[in-house]
Amino acid sequence: MKAIRAAAVLLALLAATLRGADDFIDTVDDALSVSAWQDNLRARLSGSVDVEGYRFQQPAPSLYLSGGDSLFNPRLSLFLDAQAGAHVYVFAQARADRRFDPANSGAEFRLDEYALRLTPWDDGRFNLQIGQFATVVGNWTLRHDSWDNPLVTAPLLYENLTGIWDIEAVHSCGTLLLWANVGPRPSAAFPNKTRGVPIIWGPSYGTGASASGVVGKFAYAAEIKNTSLSSRPETWSVAETQWSNPTFSGRVGFMPDGRWNLGFSASTGAYLQPAAQPSVAPGSRLGAYRETLFGQDASFAWHHLQLWSEVYAARFAIPRVGDADTLGYYVEGKFKFTPQLFGALRWNQQRFSTVLLAAGGSGRWGSDIWRIDAGPGFRFTPHTQLKLQYSIQDQDSTLRNRSGILAVQFTARF
Amino acid sequence: MNPLRPSAALLLFALLAAACGAQTIVEGRVALPKPRAAPVMNKRYGIVTEGGILSTYPPTAVVYLAGVFPRPASLPVRQMAQKDLAFFPMLLPVQVGTRVEFPNFDDTYHNIFSYSPAKRFDLGRYLSDERPIPSEVFDVPGLVTLHCEIHEHMRALILVLDTPYFVMTDTDGRYLLSGLPAGKYVLKAWLDSRTTLERPVELIGNSTLEADFP
Repeated sequence: MKAIRAAAVLLALLAATLRGADDFIDTVDDALSVSAWQDNLRARLSGSVDVEGYRFQQPAPSLYLSGGDSLFNPRLSLFLDAQAGAHVYVFAQARADRRFDPANSGAEFRLDEYALRLTPWDDGRFNLQIGQFATVVGNWTLRHDSWDNPLVTAPLLYENLTGIWDIEAVHSCGTLLLWANVGPRPSAAFPNKTRGVPIIWGPSYGTGASASGVVGKFAYAAEIKNTSLSSRPETWSVAETQWSNPTFSGRVGFMPDGRWNLGFSASTGAYLQPAAQPSVAPGSRLGAYRETLFGQDASFAWHHLQLWSEVYAARFAIPRVGDADTLGYYVEGKFKFTPQLFGALRWNQQRFSTVLLAAGGSGRWGSDIWRIDAGPGFRFTPHTQLKLQYSIQDQDSTLRNRSGILAVQFTARF
Repeated sequence: MNPLRPSAALLLFALLAAACGAQTIVEGRVALPKPRAAPVMNKRYGIVTEGGILSTYPPTAVVYLAGVFPRPASLPVRQMAQKDLAFFPMLLPVQVGTRVEFPNFDDTYHNIFSYSPAKRFDLGRYLSDERPIPSEVFDVPGLVTLHCEIHEHMRALILVLDTPYFVMTDTDGRYLLSGLPAGKYVLKAWLDSRTTLERPVELIGNSTLEADFP
């Protein structure tokens, strides 16, 4: 009871302090907007500061890269939005942090997104976008920014590493199971942390072009990108291109009455990087080894309740192994208890198919896993919020069966 | 609907007042700040339809007579609409105790909220078919800043005043405040969240006072 009271007092003090700072943020906001040519050209620089802390057990789960049990992860994100009339839109996002995914490493500065969007018709029936930007697949990318994500972490399927590497192809089923931590491991060394890939790597800011639009209750989007959805951030930029093996993705959406948004997505693209060429059979093309994905997404919003769900069935064509399937999904909800206090709950699960083993028989090529993410959030002002999250996950793994993650994230946006 | 332009409305009102008999009036002009640029929309991860229409709102001020006045038993319901991804009007002065409705005339969700000390609320997400129209009673004087959780460029203000005598200026800063009680008061002109000008006035029955705010 004392702890709750102390937390309430602390929140009230913080809210009072931040309310004062909000006027300053408004002033900064005004100063970072410019217009010219009678308002026909308008640009705004905005951003957010995230201060995150994580506490977990080793080995660090998901995409966290740290040798310790805790991780401090500050991040500055800068956004540029510019409009030239009603038909030309440009945006960019740059980040300064310790790595794209939380890591115990040095500071770096990256240009994560930049794109030019042309909208020839006023009703938005067709948009052409070129640059480096988030994938059109699913509905997670619409809310992956820290301000819009009611929890701290991404859904499991966007960050759970599989036994598939993108820089080297496995030599056998046994190697695949070893990399996936299925069955006994010969040593404590675990290289998969920096080499494995998930079904979709975060928002998948690949480089390419997209066509999208809204026609009545339907929405469509199709993109051609230089990397597959599972590809790591280092491969997203135009400099790290795999244009010889482009990835094609698309989504068709249906909004029956505004409350619901339903979508069907598909994607296919080569997931092995050029560095993996020596590890595939001589004469084999990397383009023959693809990640093919089909997905469904749904979202619902009504008053103070929001629900989201995505399910993806992915197939990786693996040299010398064949097809390896995995299914990942989550169901997530957010409810506002008061104008400023909200809570979020997410159920995640990922399952793996079986592959034929060289020694005979078959075995799962990954460890089935489920994870529950839950936590409250509090918006002190329209520019500042604090989120807490506790996650518990259970995995049929040789590394650790059940573990917990505690995360806290403070965000100030301007 | 084709509302009268503010300056025409002021003229019409003055003519009507003259026709109905003399009354106590304050009129004048408030020097307004320069118009601000239209906001820039964040369209990074969504396709904002309506062709990116952005309504620009020239600055206006609210002139009101500060004092102690009896509160009426009931007040008319006012509206602040959401249309073309913007609030309309962008600034709404109301008397304490007024109920304000927030109809959504867009074909997409809006989620109006305010964290202002004078009124803290969150209407949640609703469409144009929402009935009854979501509303709030503004029962504490002060400035209420409205936001939309979905469209971050949307902003509006509700100025809750503890007086029945207030009026918005036209876009040139001209105003006319009529039907005022005689006596000594403070006349105030609210320009923005940080600027409220004021000047003492002495109102004499059935007369017109010129009061400018330079």
